[in-house]
Amino acid sequence: MPHIEIDGQAIEVVAGTTVMEAAESLGIYIPFFCYHPKLSVAANCRMCLVDVEKAPKPLPACATPVADGMKVATASRKAKMAQQGVLEFLLINHPLDCPICDQGGECPLQDITMGFANPHSHYTEEKRVVEDKDIGPLIATEMTRCIQCTRCIRFGQEIGGIMELGATGRGEDMAIGTYVAKAVQSELSGNMIDLCPVGALTSKPFRYKARSWELKHTPGLCPHCSTGCNTDMQSLGREVLRVLPRANQAVNEDWICDKGRYAYTALQAEDRVTQPLLRVDGGWREVSWAEALDAALSGLERVVAQHGAERLAGLISAQSSNEELFLFQALLRGLGSPHVDHRLRQQDFRADAAMPVYPALNMALEDLEREPVVLLCHAFPRQQQPLTNHRLRKSVLQGGTVIALDSQRQDFNYPVLQLVADAGADLALYEALCSQLSGAVEKSATAGLAHVASVLLAADNPLILIGSALLHHPQAAAMIAQIERLAELAGGRVGWLAQEANSAGAWLSGCVPHRLPGGHTAPATGLPTDALWDAGMRGFILLGIEPGVDAMRGTAALAALQKAEFVLSIAQFAGEAQQYADVILPMAAFAEGSGSFINNEGRLQSFRAAVKTPGEARPAWKILRVLGDALKLPRFQFNELSEVTAAWQQEIGEYALDVPPFHAFPALEQDSVPMSGDGLCRLGDWSIYQGDPLVRRAAPLARPAVAKMHPDQAKGLNLRGDTVEISSHSGKISLPLVLDARIPMGAVWVPMGYGETAVLGAIYAPCTVTMATPSAATANA
Amino acid sequence: MLSEKSLAAIAHERTKYPAEQARSALLAALRIAQEEQGYLSEALMAYVADLLGLPAIHAYEVATFYTMYDLRPVGRHKLCVCGSVSCFLNGSDAVIKHLSERLGIGLGETTADGLFTLQEVECLGACKDAPMMQVGDHYHENLTPESLDVLLAKLRGGSDDVR
Repeated sequence: MPHIEIDGQAIEVVAGTTVMEAAESLGIYIPFFCYHPKLSVAANCRMCLVDVEKAPKPLPACATPVADGMKVATASRKAKMAQQGVLEFLLINHPLDCPICDQGGECPLQDITMGFANPHSHYTEEKRVVEDKDIGPLIATEMTRCIQCTRCIRFGQEIGGIMELGATGRGEDMAIGTYVAKAVQSELSGNMIDLCPVGALTSKPFRYKARSWELKHTPGLCPHCSTGCNTDMQSLGREVLRVLPRANQAVNEDWICDKGRYAYTALQAEDRVTQPLLRVDGGWREVSWAEALDAALSGLERVVAQHGAERLAGLISAQSSNEELFLFQALLRGLGSPHVDHRLRQQDFRADAAMPVYPALNMALEDLEREPVVLLCHAFPRQQQPLTNHRLRKSVLQGGTVIALDSQRQDFNYPVLQLVADAGADLALYEALCSQLSGAVEKSATAGLAHVASVLLAADNPLILIGSALLHHPQAAAMIAQIERLAELAGGRVGWLAQEANSAGAWLSGCVPHRLPGGHTAPATGLPTDALWDAGMRGFILLGIEPGVDAMRGTAALAALQKAEFVLSIAQFAGEAQQYADVILPMAAFAEGSGSFINNEGRLQSFRAAVKTPGEARPAWKILRVLGDALKLPRFQFNELSEVTAAWQQEIGEYALDVPPFHAFPALEQDSVPMSGDGLCRLGDWSIYQGDPLVRRAAPLARPAVAKMHPDQAKGLNLRGDTVEISSHSGKISLPLVLDARIPMGAVWVPMGYGETAVLGAIYAPCTVTMATPSAATANA
Repeated sequence: MLSEKSLAAIAHERTKYPAEQARSALLAALRIAQEEQGYLSEALMAYVADLLGLPAIHAYEVATFYTMYDLRPVGRHKLCVCGSVSCFLNGSDAVIKHLSERLGIGLGETTADGLFTLQEVECLGACKDAPMMQVGDHYHENLTPESLDVLLAKLRGGSDDVR
């Protein structure tokens, strides 16, 4: 291995190491702008020029590999002159607007200029001005500040997987822009802000809100998917002003997705509840906690006394902490109700007994990037778990193969072998692959199927990942049974891609109707969410959810909640709850509470509050504790969160990181065929920015709902114009139509999670699409 | 969008480079596209990029870097005056000023009759006879106001091949 010397310090490093990396390991600082350990080396800023013995000119440390006997000086006269020269050139065109620049105070150009520049400039001519661009609602641009380091461009290509930004023009006219000012579409786009070493790309929602040195930093966890990204919540006073990634190479590396970065903007949404609300004579009255709790307790006691506890149900968000989930099920079960659930989006629960103790990936996220063959079953992690997706992308870039089975072609940001089911015939696709794998059919109907089967059979122990969207299918149980068979036939192993930040915790803490904390079988099995809507429930306790849009059958959920005698909603937002609740208790939202989550790998991570709760809002665990205590339930006498955590830990015991992906399957009754009668199959999923109450209210992320259809299908139905009317058995809506060849024939795609699309009911159900009549179009507008 | 002949020429250029180096064929492909259509519209650049399986931004980057690519329609004669260091020191600014006055157009503009487009370009490698400019496939060197007037008269006279 080469021995080198930097500034007189000797070090032995692996061949191929760059001078920059060697200096870093010695703790010697070399200034740089364009270098980034996660990006390719561009060596175009020239800031890291160092003096290498026997080299005639200074060399860029980031792009110079070490050689045996090399002697490097980072602060010799030659190196300093080079650094001063580079900075003088970089500053020629950089505006002196630091006092009004958001990057000020956390700007490498500012810092390096203070540390390394010659205080005098020879330049007296005019500075250049670059035309600014509008690249969407997330990133503010001030392109005159750009120093052309190309980090954002390389991020787009190498990490984002889509080429959005590029450098156009030449020399003095070179500018970074998007092709024809196209909005930046990547779900990881916000990371370019962090990468930009100057104030050219800054956060638009954060613009002019604060100076970086005024902000308080609190380590946090992203509550928006099962990856469990670590975040740095930055706040000023009682307001969260920014959420940035906190580097954790085992989880999110140096990145977070835009959902995690910008959802905080919804914390001050108009319908945020900050005071307990009580329904009085059809109206709403702000009341004291004492009065609200009295009303909540008497309401619950009345339902239990008059109708029995089996007419009371509790539904909780899987974004709740372990502590909250644990207390929530203890409250319901303590009252005598077996109906506890968090799975609002599921329609088929026949495989409940076969489900694992918790949806576990059964491997480390880091190891995903080394998987040679991965089969995704109705999983689109780019939308559902963006940074888990990034690991898969890395595996493909290193020569791995990713195969996806789904109900539509998906827009992956890396090459994926995709097999798409005929509209609604998703189960048949899994059955066909199983037959192909077992050799039951000589020749496959499609070449794609045969190819996928041969790839799986040739692979040694391929990884099969069950996506969170698979559970939304009306035949999910039968599909899971096929996947178990498929895994056996292909000689593979199975992991689950969990949906929510704490889906794992929800299962482990007993927030399912058939299992207690720790996965023990419940003595009395309650009803799963979807069955509750038709079961004549008289009372509901909801925590952190809006069933009207969070549940698979939103309209049915609203009807059931409105029919109930008493609904207690513990919520951050009042908007939907006011349609059905009797008492609304304001709870802490993201960044305002403390607790712990278990991510997809089974990693237990905790977080604490960054800001105080607004008004009278309280952390949900405290609300549950007070309710349980007042109802005289056993084991609710907690003072501190740590006591709840300890009780939770004791109850669930040690949990394994690798769990059997399935338990024994119950005999499945004959499948009901989801598609019946005429019409199209309605596909859809919760859109990336519509998945929970917080992100739905984040204005910078808002995108209008559209319907999508294959162009040939639209032609076949003679659909012209851009607005169509979609009707299902439960309702009809008008939406703009987008033609998209990724949607299979015989189907129309309508997203979930929007108030206006909820009337259509469950996905994979039949519906019809017609031209919108002008009156309907206006009514919708 | 392009003729069979141009498509074949682009396909031929593509074969000159390894399979994973599609970007290398971009310069030639854009040139072929421009020769057929006169200039590179955004749609044409995107089309050429697509032919080579590249993101459109790659074509846009290349086309905006080299002055030989025209992003807008140009006149019949493109007067490409070198403005790099040798020509600059030998009076390229005066050449541009003279042409600009005679033609009544500024840099990057085209005369109303569609005959001339005036451009300043980067070094064309004829420094020893600076100042110089390129018109069509020919270099015109040691430019003076008089020689420029003679040349303009010839071009106005309908000749395309002036030396």
